[in-house]
Amino acid sequence: MRTVLKRELIQNIKNLLIWSISVGILGLICILLYESMQGDMKEMADAFSNMGAFSDAFGMSTLSIASLKGYFATEIGAVHGLGSGMFAAITAISIISKEEDGHTGEFTFSLPLSRSKIIAAKGICVAIMLVVFTAVCTVFYIVGFKILGEDMPMDQFFTFMGSQLLMNAEIAGICFGLSSLAGKNRIGLGLGIALLLYSYDVMGRVVPDLKDSLFWGPYSYCNAAEIFTGADTPAKALVVAVIVLALGVLFAFWNYNRRDLAS
Amino acid sequence: MSKKVIEINNLTKSYGKSRGVIDVSFSVEEGDIFGFLGPNGAGKSTTIRSMLGFLKINSGSIKILGMDSIKDHEKILRDVGYMPSEAWFYDNMKVSDVIKYAADVRGLDCTEEAGKICEILKVDIKKRIKQLSLGNRKKVSIACAMQHKPKLFIFDEPTSGLDPLIQKKFFGLINEYVDNDATCLLSTHVLSEVDKYCRHAAIMREGRLMMLETPHIDDETFLSFYEDEEE
Repeated sequence: MRTVLKRELIQNIKNLLIWSISVGILGLICILLYESMQGDMKEMADAFSNMGAFSDAFGMSTLSIASLKGYFATEIGAVHGLGSGMFAAITAISIISKEEDGHTGEFTFSLPLSRSKIIAAKGICVAIMLVVFTAVCTVFYIVGFKILGEDMPMDQFFTFMGSQLLMNAEIAGICFGLSSLAGKNRIGLGLGIALLLYSYDVMGRVVPDLKDSLFWGPYSYCNAAEIFTGADTPAKALVVAVIVLALGVLFAFWNYNRRDLAS
Repeated sequence: MSKKVIEINNLTKSYGKSRGVIDVSFSVEEGDIFGFLGPNGAGKSTTIRSMLGFLKINSGSIKILGMDSIKDHEKILRDVGYMPSEAWFYDNMKVSDVIKYAADVRGLDCTEEAGKICEILKVDIKKRIKQLSLGNRKKVSIACAMQHKPKLFIFDEPTSGLDPLIQKKFFGLINEYVDNDATCLLSTHVLSEVDKYCRHAAIMREGRLMMLETPHIDDETFLSFYEDEEE
């Protein structure tokens, strides 16, 4: 199993580096832009905080984007949330199906390993990639804070990055389950799921009637504005996240062990 | 008495409403080179893929090396060398890495045997898989199937794409392993291969299997199995 895990990691390292460095650098550039925009921020912050539902949706009514904390939560929070969600989706949705899609299944599955062990190796690979992705981005953002020399509540920052990792894992869990369905490339579907879940969260924050249903989506518990204002973590959403993640992974094992493999 | 390496009883596998194989029973004894013939779509690959656990069978039983193909799937694969008809690997890997990977998963150091096979078959181990033709990919597949000296070889149309000299060397290798107590199931369309190398043979038609009295049949008899299928 370790050999399969090692090969999966080697195969995916290029994607991991491209995505983590891209999202990390994008976040870093945004952080560095804060200094040059600081002068104009006060007027912008006033304007942004009075945009009604949209200000609520993006946390600009509770956090001032004139502060680094508020700027990070509203700008980089969105960039990282979308970028990491998309990365988690495309990584997980192709990791199982690529064997049949690329016709390598007959080689891999003729090796003396059960399907469960191969799925486990692939699942662990996804988990490692998400952790490394989060760590790389975290380093980039911290470098940004250091360069600016501004105060940043690090406990809230780490809570934010941790909850983003959980959100990534939840999306990956859904896509991992879907990846076991059939040997077809479903990267488009993965990206669609990530964007749909993000849109669901934005809509839920804009439309008051949807607010009570927000906890179903993975973006509900990793909202930067809420975390940086010290709002309570929505326990219901965390429970849903853990259940969805577990169901996705269990479904992948169950489904892959019961079905025929395409040649 | 010879040991039965493959023992299939009343195997039935369907794909929804489509026929796969129906009530297939046969056995292959240790040290045999067993020819497995039949037109395209007759059920040869379905039988092989059921043996290897790629397909979930509807009914019947399969014993490989005395072990149950479902319960002991992982154990069985340790002693099986399989070469699929389409030899696909991970495109970006080097040939040497693919061969080493197959050995590493088995927890074996097959450097010496792999080196010998690659030399005989003239496998360029420095190239990447994506640079290889079908024939060269097949040679890599042969090396992966043989390097761990399995007790049972399962080859699905192994010689298509190989040049005549490599084909001859390939059968030379099979004979060498079989002389050392290995067994070989050879699925092929090439009658001359069955005639020259196989000791027993069976033919599949429309999902059903028929044992041949002898693997040395003439062209007309051989083709009649295919013609009947088309009518």
